[in-house]
Amino acid sequence: MTAGGPGGSSPQASTAGGPGGSSPQASTAGGTDGCGAPAGGVKVTAGAGNQAVVQGHVTSSGAPVPSGHARLLNSDGEFVAEVPLDDDGGFVFYAAPGDWTLRVLAPGGVRAERPVSASTGMITELEVAV
Amino acid sequence: MSRSDVLVDADWVQDHQGDPGLVLVEVDEDTSAYDKGHIKGAVKIDWKKDLQDPVRRDFVDRAGFERLLSERGIADADTVILYGGNNNWFAAYAYWYFKLYGHQNVKLLDGGRKKWELDSREMVTEVPARPATSYHAREQDRSIRAFRDDVLAAIGNLNLVDVRSPDEFAGRLLAPAHLPQEQAQRGGHVPTAKNVPWSKAAEEDGTFKSDDALRALYGDEAGLDFGTDTIAYCRIGERSAHTWFVLHELLGQPNVRNYDGSGTEYGSLVGVPIELGDGK
Repeated sequence: MTAGGPGGSSPQASTAGGPGGSSPQASTAGGTDGCGAPAGGVKVTAGAGNQAVVQGHVTSSGAPVPSGHARLLNSDGEFVAEVPLDDDGGFVFYAAPGDWTLRVLAPGGVRAERPVSASTGMITELEVAV
Repeated sequence: MSRSDVLVDADWVQDHQGDPGLVLVEVDEDTSAYDKGHIKGAVKIDWKKDLQDPVRRDFVDRAGFERLLSERGIADADTVILYGGNNNWFAAYAYWYFKLYGHQNVKLLDGGRKKWELDSREMVTEVPARPATSYHAREQDRSIRAFRDDVLAAIGNLNLVDVRSPDEFAGRLLAPAHLPQEQAQRGGHVPTAKNVPWSKAAEEDGTFKSDDALRALYGDEAGLDFGTDTIAYCRIGERSAHTWFVLHELLGQPNVRNYDGSGTEYGSLVGVPIELGDGK
């Protein structure tokens, strides 16, 4: 497996000619040299690139839920990541290809879960009404 | 040391807001959260701008830490209550950092910002004015900080705890899944490390599990030898500060070090051993 290819797939190596070459990436906004989750997650600005993106919004009666958290669980139900919802109730995750569960926690004991499948190079949209 | 010496709950903070000698500090990587609303009276520390050296990959030095705390109006004898987002990752990192520079009275708010928000407690945007102090830090306490050579020497000898998610441990993800997977370093983990994700130590609301549950998690389930020294690591050292807090401060384990270089350093070293695949 290569350094850059989660899950063994390696779009970088095949398209960029090996380590050290530039590779196609999702265009994202904001720096990511830390490890924290900005509200809503790091936005995808132009296509998924080689990422397996899961993104969407949490709404209640059609209005965004701006306070709360979205967390991603793997197929064993183990925690993988969490972001605070942004002002539009939005969230973004960069997963590996496969099946995941999205769980929403919000004030007032609100909880919801949705299954979601991610694929490399795809943005999977998920709208969650709670 | 017991849990009440290092941890306070939201009700306690609500009852003691404004006490003299008590300073609430919100620590985040993304400090726009503080700017939108924070616990009344809290000052902010920016994990990157305030705590990291702007040039070298290291912390601000002792003099820099003294300047920061003096400017924030924090005195040597103050009781500092730290809290933050991301389930207190960066607050736990700051806690470890306050201890590294010898601050005596520092505690975490259990559940951090998330629990406070889920409880719908009051948040304000007003920034408190605190008069500057003249803070004195001590030399770094190296007994709680591990470097790369310590990690290499620990392989097969000490407890190594990789606190990242199972998918990062296995090498399927290179970063937590709220970040783009574009890091340059190699995926996988340090050989002989046990994978105990930080999240297993916390409830969904971000509060820590009970001491009994934590002891069972690291002992019976993960098979850590409590009679041996431990090094915890993650990707950049803040999630492992959370686990360092659990092992060293809540469970009172001696000789627990946080490897703040973590995966982004280890996975970039030439010639070191790396294992791929799920934990055993």
